[in-house]
Amino acid sequence: MCVRACPLEINIPGFIRSLREGRVSDAYAIIREKSCLPSICGRICSAPCEVACVLNEEAAPIGIRALERYAADFGKGKLAKKQRLLYGGKKVAVIGSGPAGLSAAADLAQRGYQVTVYEAFDKPGGILRYGIPEFRVPKKTLDHEIDQIKALGVTIETNFLIGHTATLEEIRQKFSAVLLATGAGIPKFMDLPGTSLGGVYYGEEFLMRVNRAKSTFFSRGVPKLPLGQKIAVIGSGNTALDCARTGVRLGRQVTLIFRRLEEDMYVAEEERQYAKEEGIQFASLVKPVEILPDSNNFVRGLKCVRMDFADRDGSGNWEVAELPDSEFNLDVDTVVIAVGHNPNSLVGEGTPSLKINDDGTMQVRDNDSMTSIPGVFSAGNVRTNAGPVVEAMASGKKAAEDIDRYLRG
Amino acid sequence: MPFKIINKLVLADQVKRIDIIAPNIARRINPGQFVSVAPEEDDEHIPLTVTAYDLIKGSIMLIFPEVGHTTKKLGAMHIHEEIYSVLGPLGRSARIGKEGLVVCIATGIRIAQILPICRAFRDKGNRIIGVIGAKTKRSLMLEPQMRLACDKLYIATNDGSYERRGQATDILGEVLEKNRIDCVYAIGSVEMMRAVCAMTGQKNIKTLVKLNPVMTDCMGMCGSCRVKVGGKMVLACIEGPEFNGFDVDFDDLEIRMNAYEENAQWGNLPSEHKTGNGGPKTLTKFLSGILKG
Repeated sequence: MCVRACPLEINIPGFIRSLREGRVSDAYAIIREKSCLPSICGRICSAPCEVACVLNEEAAPIGIRALERYAADFGKGKLAKKQRLLYGGKKVAVIGSGPAGLSAAADLAQRGYQVTVYEAFDKPGGILRYGIPEFRVPKKTLDHEIDQIKALGVTIETNFLIGHTATLEEIRQKFSAVLLATGAGIPKFMDLPGTSLGGVYYGEEFLMRVNRAKSTFFSRGVPKLPLGQKIAVIGSGNTALDCARTGVRLGRQVTLIFRRLEEDMYVAEEERQYAKEEGIQFASLVKPVEILPDSNNFVRGLKCVRMDFADRDGSGNWEVAELPDSEFNLDVDTVVIAVGHNPNSLVGEGTPSLKINDDGTMQVRDNDSMTSIPGVFSAGNVRTNAGPVVEAMASGKKAAEDIDRYLRG
Repeated sequence: MPFKIINKLVLADQVKRIDIIAPNIARRINPGQFVSVAPEEDDEHIPLTVTAYDLIKGSIMLIFPEVGHTTKKLGAMHIHEEIYSVLGPLGRSARIGKEGLVVCIATGIRIAQILPICRAFRDKGNRIIGVIGAKTKRSLMLEPQMRLACDKLYIATNDGSYERRGQATDILGEVLEKNRIDCVYAIGSVEMMRAVCAMTGQKNIKTLVKLNPVMTDCMGMCGSCRVKVGGKMVLACIEGPEFNGFDVDFDDLEIRMNAYEENAQWGNLPSEHKTGNGGPKTLTKFLSGILKG
């Protein structure tokens, strides 16, 4: 069951058997067949396998994610080995070095293509580097995984922004195939009065500033942004939870505000428990209405309204609706909004022939990753809009297969 | 890609100019676009407008004031040192057309941003009246370049140490009365751009402004450069930084510009949280604890 649930189709019983017999490096090799970022998956995967585990009916499921993390951390070799098999294959460009781009690049390199990965930031990793905080994916682990991928023969070029440094057309002429894995980079703007006030951040900015703060051996990185003592985080996804847990680590008092029930949050049960243990206050069934300004145009408080399930029209459909006269003010001085993202629109700039859907995602044919331009493929969140890391990786692998099929004719 | 500094000049009080080798950027840059620069690894990325470029050398010219931590670090770098990261060109290029008589107005450090705009307008065959302002003569820069790029140049200094005493907007008022202007391009502080838009709005003259909001990554991922334009939130790094002056909500912009000022806020809170946690302070506390114990 678990193998079928895993988007990457890792042989889960196989590697657990190896682990039981004490052969950790064999277990690592089994995972590595399907997943090129095992130690990252072992940390942040949303673990659909554990939901599908057969033991769920009787007791708690097997902790597959933890086992994968163990196998990846202790089973891998100390040094990355150069294992490039073929030289002089066709050239493929991968735009974006996030989870989708990296797994596609690794897959293509293993199939013998010359892969170049382009990254806009100064370091590869995409969301894994600037979006996911250090305590979930240590930068050292990420660097190691990227070194492993580089050892496969993948070249990574940083400081390259598609559409600006070069257009898609120019890249297309240089390479046999192009994979767009630029992700969902633009925060969804929340329609809330007072979002321009000082002390209001979007989740991405908050995480990025904390992640890119310089930390040395002697000092922890201090993010360069004005931050109050009491933070309210709006949202119920992984980004919101990451923001909240980062806030706790900065020594702030954090309240997580979301409109649904705690059980309905889009995060793994384990993560939710961690967050509770760390002392984050959960305000479930609460909807923010307005951010209140003070005389300096900074956040003074957050006006919220309570929600509850209600059977409005008597049809038996229980919906979440606002409770009348339940407005209250939350005493906070910083608000972090993490309610989702939209795909980055910079890709299509200068390339009108690339067809883009109304919600900003790429148009693709059914069951194929090719976009409206032949030879240009797409993978990851730029196609699906919002999904967990493991789904982006699976989508990258699928795109690698499609590119392989396209180039073989 | 090495981004080597090949030239460095001090232009005015605390204002420096550096030329960087960046052939890929120089090839594609248009007037009005900017680059995102980080002098060393793990440093903050800052947006800087490209004032000029040289296709033969493959270099771009950046002019910046030394006010913050990152710009001070950038200003302390020497010729032949390499900058860690330069990403660009970013933003949309300026909408330069054949207008007729154009007024280009800028104050302070923003003169570096108006210069490429002036040159582009000139290349299109427009006549240009330049209006630049600065606090004192010492902080006025790029005057000879502006004289070459404009047909007529007016200069105002706030303390009267050079040419006229007063604000640049005062001169603009006179210019607008004497001539029939087709287009005004303004770059400056929020108050200055608001004043310009109020003046041109009365006479219904096309006004373009270039905004300088706070940017974190310059690629639209963070949302810190959001500004309200035409009643809608847009990202200045993607859709801007140039906007139609009458669409911009300047009150909103002022709040946004103020949002990152460290000193302006949290008056009612204890002062220690301004410094954040961790850092050298914790270390010294820790060390002094050891020494005492």
